[in-house]
Amino acid sequence: MADNIISAKNLNKIYASGKMSAQVLFDISLEIERNSFTALIGPSGSGKSTLLNCLALLDPPTSGSIVIDGKEQAGKDVNSLSKYRNERIGFVFQFHYLLPEFTALENILIPFNIGKGQAPANTVKEAERLMERIGILMEKNKYPGEMSGGQQQRVSIARALINKPGIIFADEPTGNLDTETGGSVLSLMKEINAENNTTLVMVTHDRDIALKADRVVELVNGRICRSINIKSLGLKEAEKLLENRSCHP
Amino acid sequence: MFRSYEWMIALRFLKKGKGQTVLIILGIAMGVAVQFFLASLMSGLQASLVDRTVGAAPHITVLPADSLPGYVSGPQKASSDNRNPIYSEKTEILSWQQYPEDLKKDAAVKSISPTVNGSGFIERGGVTVPVILKGVTGEGLKLYKISENIVTGKAELSGDSAVFGKKIADRLSLSAGDKLNLKNDRGEQVFVQVNGIFDIGSEAGNSLVFLSLDRARSFLRVDGVSSIEVQVIDVFAADRIAKRYAKGYTRVKLESWQSKNRELLQALSAQSSSTNTILFFVIISISLGIASVLGIAAVQKQRQLGILKAMGTSNGSAAKIFIYQGFTLGLFGSFLGVLAGLALGYMFVTFAGVNFGFDFSAKMIITPVILACLASTLASLIPARRAAGLSPIEVIRNG
Repeated sequence: MADNIISAKNLNKIYASGKMSAQVLFDISLEIERNSFTALIGPSGSGKSTLLNCLALLDPPTSGSIVIDGKEQAGKDVNSLSKYRNERIGFVFQFHYLLPEFTALENILIPFNIGKGQAPANTVKEAERLMERIGILMEKNKYPGEMSGGQQQRVSIARALINKPGIIFADEPTGNLDTETGGSVLSLMKEINAENNTTLVMVTHDRDIALKADRVVELVNGRICRSINIKSLGLKEAEKLLENRSCHP
Repeated sequence: MFRSYEWMIALRFLKKGKGQTVLIILGIAMGVAVQFFLASLMSGLQASLVDRTVGAAPHITVLPADSLPGYVSGPQKASSDNRNPIYSEKTEILSWQQYPEDLKKDAAVKSISPTVNGSGFIERGGVTVPVILKGVTGEGLKLYKISENIVTGKAELSGDSAVFGKKIADRLSLSAGDKLNLKNDRGEQVFVQVNGIFDIGSEAGNSLVFLSLDRARSFLRVDGVSSIEVQVIDVFAADRIAKRYAKGYTRVKLESWQSKNRELLQALSAQSSSTNTILFFVIISISLGIASVLGIAAVQKQRQLGILKAMGTSNGSAAKIFIYQGFTLGLFGSFLGVLAGLALGYMFVTFAGVNFGFDFSAKMIITPVILACLASTLASLIPARRAAGLSPIEVIRNG
């Protein structure tokens, strides 16, 4: 049996506002293998970001179960979810979301500060090592406003890693970058994922990026329409499958 | 506590939002400066008014009880001065020695002066002038601050010597060393020498003639004393102290300066309430300013808060970030405000030429600081609540 770090069952998400309500996710069941790289793809409005946010424990599902590390997470209170996210989950967003008031190094240390307070010298060293690995050590004392988009996104990758999380969720991490920078950020994420034994779940609308993953899960209208295991099928076969645009859940 | 990341973020938000931070700190500082200046001015003014009224006067006067029949027919109290009734006690206290003994033991009492009061006439150069006589001991001269206010001669009473108020002395063209006759209403006369002339500022005070207690006793035919005059350390405690002792004494009554100066006290208390009203509204306006600036900051920092929350910041911590900002603004603002208030007070004293001191006591400084810190912390609860309630997903979904 596969070692699944995430196991979601029958996830439904309904957004309600006054008398209006809209269902975004319909009975989604999905398992994600430990140390794998999964790409969630789908057209705009397919619910891929909503699914990511649910799996990342940022947005509670309306119904359904999310088991992470063997423990049910759906239905936990806000503060214990916050604590769990801080300890086990790293985030990389399209809009990097660095705190403009803090330098690159300080931004990277913030998840540590949130969980454990002031960072001791060895944690600062670890942050610097990460920066060096990612190629932004020169920028450590710069504020986000003084860095390029690619550098900012690299800082946010380092920030996602500082607490040594089990899973990294990334929502269009290259969406705001030019192709070249995006490509290098993506390969970096892949490498880091392999080096640190983390599980990477990434939302993207770009099929080329998705093909770099171990597995592609495609959503249409809030339902999973197909799941392609690139690792076992091979890249060519997967590419062929993805080119067939008709995908019906 | 100050090493927590909530503090780190709060301080950084303030540091990076320089313009806003400086404005709000100046706002608080101005409010605190006004508050501090006004409060110390009023307190100083009141203190000097009270000092002028009772600084050189008894705070509590022990007098013979009003009416003897009340005492005789009333219930016998187990009191410490439960001796045989003496009929002349309406105008004097015969067995008086015990009262100073009792009062001496009280730490709240500053000085005690057994006094004989009466009146007489002085004839000089064909003019007869009535005078008010006070027979006192050295303690009594201290109570009336005679030695500090002596104009000529010495503040000493012995045998024939007397100390004269400036008003009387001027009227009779007296100078130290002069000798004159003092008459009483029985026509008896006694020889006195002017030992000193004093000026204690008030007209009533400067109309007094001080004699030694023994001389006054024999001249005025008083066997005991007319009253015992007492000064206490805390002027405003006089009434309370007088009431406490009055409970134990049945043959004397105790009058505090407050009971004789109701109007002054009412004026002071009206002044205090109007000052407090102004101060109250100053605090309200400071609080509203902080609440609105931090409220705007909470909206501006929504993105940062959302991401902090996504990374694991709890609702409580998000609230703390704003509460700490409020507290810090209050602390810095009030510190600056106290400095400005001190400067304002100094300038007022130096350039406006006021003839009273400001009250720059620790209480005057600490009170506005505590109030401003409290008000700004409370005001920050509004944005703090907003920060606590913010859901990270709203920020992330809306970019």
